Amino acid sequence: MSLHLLLVEDDREIRTMVQTSLSVEGFEVQTAVSLSEARALLQHRLPDVVLLDLGLPDGDGLELVLHIRKQHTLPILIISARHQEAQKITLLDAGADDYLAKPFSVGELMARIRVALRHRGTSLAAAVTEHALDGLNIDLGLRTIRLHGEPVHLTPTEFKLLARLVRSAGRVVTHRQLLADVWGAEFTEHTHYLRLYMGQLRAKIERDPAEPRHLLTETGVGYRLAVT
Amino acid sequence: MKLPDKTLQNQFAWRAWALVVALLAAATGFGFLWEPHVSLASQAMLYVLAVVIASYTLEPLASVACALGAVTAFNFFFVPPRWTFEVDNQQNLISLVTLLVVALVVSRLAADLRQKTASAHLSASRARQMQSLSAALAEAASPQAMLGLGQAALAQAFDGPIAIALRSEDGALVFPDDLPQELAPTVRDGMLTCMREAAPLGPGTGRWPGLNAWYIPLGLATQMQGAACIQHISAADQAGREHAVALCGLLAQALWRMKLAADMQAAQSQAQRQQVQSTFLAAISHDLRTPLAAVLGAASALQSQGDKLGATQQHALQDSIIREARYLSSLTENTLQLLQLTNAAQPLRRSWESMEEVVGAVLGRMRPRDLLHRITAKVPQGLPLVEADPVLLAQLLDNLLDNALKYSDGPITVVVSSAAGAMHLSVKDRGAEIAPEVRVQLFQPYARGDQGGPHGSGLGLALCLAIATAHGADLNWMARPGGGNHFRFSLPLSVAQPISEEA
Repeated sequence: MSLHLLLVEDDREIRTMVQTSLSVEGFEVQTAVSLSEARALLQHRLPDVVLLDLGLPDGDGLELVLHIRKQHTLPILIISARHQEAQKITLLDAGADDYLAKPFSVGELMARIRVALRHRGTSLAAAVTEHALDGLNIDLGLRTIRLHGEPVHLTPTEFKLLARLVRSAGRVVTHRQLLADVWGAEFTEHTHYLRLYMGQLRAKIERDPAEPRHLLTETGVGYRLAVT
Repeated sequence: MKLPDKTLQNQFAWRAWALVVALLAAATGFGFLWEPHVSLASQAMLYVLAVVIASYTLEPLASVACALGAVTAFNFFFVPPRWTFEVDNQQNLISLVTLLVVALVVSRLAADLRQKTASAHLSASRARQMQSLSAALAEAASPQAMLGLGQAALAQAFDGPIAIALRSEDGALVFPDDLPQELAPTVRDGMLTCMREAAPLGPGTGRWPGLNAWYIPLGLATQMQGAACIQHISAADQAGREHAVALCGLLAQALWRMKLAADMQAAQSQAQRQQVQSTFLAAISHDLRTPLAAVLGAASALQSQGDKLGATQQHALQDSIIREARYLSSLTENTLQLLQLTNAAQPLRRSWESMEEVVGAVLGRMRPRDLLHRITAKVPQGLPLVEADPVLLAQLLDNLLDNALKYSDGPITVVVSSAAGAMHLSVKDRGAEIAPEVRVQLFQPYARGDQGGPHGSGLGLALCLAIATAHGADLNWMARPGGGNHFRFSLPLSVAQPISEEA
């Protein structure tokens, strides 16, 4: 059975481009040009993934994300222009899974969808507890981190921070989400904690911390643990 | 200047009378002590001395009482027949009367002197207050802050309740943020009336003498800034009223200066915005045509002649479409960002950022365009954090690297360092040194090093400079020793780094 994707996008060219290229990849793509149309389609049939453009004519998308999140865990990807950080972050914090900045290539879009689908239903199914890429091996269950076979020693806070990223491997995690999950809800404004601890983590697991391979910065939004 | 309260007044009266008695007792005591050695006239002088001391230190009533007491005591203790109030001969009577007159005159003179000294002190302290208010107003950052200073100065100078307010555009009263706004209707009406008449009201001003408060406008009729009200004042206190008017005048001048400066700045930034926008329109229309023509040409060739073109040619056309479209996209980003930055209403979204992360994120984005791996980065460990807008910092580095990739061959180095209270971000290439005639307009929108070469970002360096300026940072070009160009961004470091304690 092919995967069913709902694309909410008001621009016809982008709609056609995404629809064409995803159909080639075997997706069954349904499109909506407005939030109200998207809501109507969602009642009719639940897709496997939602692609939501920011800046639709009839609203900012937050309502739709909240509406979906009330009942479903299906992945929601945000498509945004750059410089829409504030809106992006609001939607990510409200439960959207990831975002993609315009202009994007079809390759990037496919990669994001694959990651989102891999995490689908993580709240119900077993959470991601293992991660391996380029000589970095992390096992949250055993609490072990190995770099090219050598054990890496982390402080408890560093471990909590890395573990949070592993559980969402491949997806962006906002500053607010990281601060709330690692330090606590009252620390959500202390972004400097993240700068300092991410710096320490990179020094321990990156070959060149100034050009990270694993712990990627999503400028102004959050962090992402690379999966490819 | 300030009236002590009732109990304090009673206490003062009690002390005054005690002092009168003590002075007379002392004069009498010394009179007896020195009796064998001195004459009756010298004993009288002791009493005169007591009266002088009492007059200079005490209220007029007490000093007169002291004078009368001195004559009585002199008569009783020393004038023969002693221990009686009688006077036996004419000479002694004349001595007594002379003593009385001298004592009263001295007491009057001393009281005058005392009052003059006090009023000199008062005007000196008022002059000091004017000076310190004037200095404080010069540092104030907002009309509200100025109003607060004026309120504090009036409250320091006068005892009664003070009300002070600014005049809004529509003539209503606007009160300082942190001060209570409940005013008696009469006070409110008085303030509005004195603003309307542009003249002080209240006792001694010649207008509305029946009021028990002074209402003083802040500013002249055409430059009315607000009004002040000082309650519980005395009609006779002319110097006090003049001081109040002078303080209010100082405040009004400062408010007016600030308004003029704000108006001028608004006009300037408006003019600057318009100029930037018209430059954009002219330049954009030029810079958009070329890449659009290339995209259109390549796409239509693929569409109409696709079958006749070989695979290599098709690829070349596709590459051209992607390259030109990418250029258009970066041009759009830069344009929007530059317009946003020149719009003063939009504040920077500053947060604590790590330069290592900013460089890392930009390098990650650049690598697909840097297939030969020409860019290397040197970022030392343990740099302090910077307070900046991370998206703008990333865009600045992005533009500098983009230029270096386009206009030079060979290695490109990104260096971050912190020294002398600033964070320095350098991009160095080994390309041809920028020609002197281009340097002068290097950071102007749509100035470009080489018109015939590949697309410049056109706006790239102008945006970099705007980003630096918005952060209070510097962006400089310098020739690189051994050939090439060096762009350096220097951001002053915040004095206080965030607390890094573990939670």
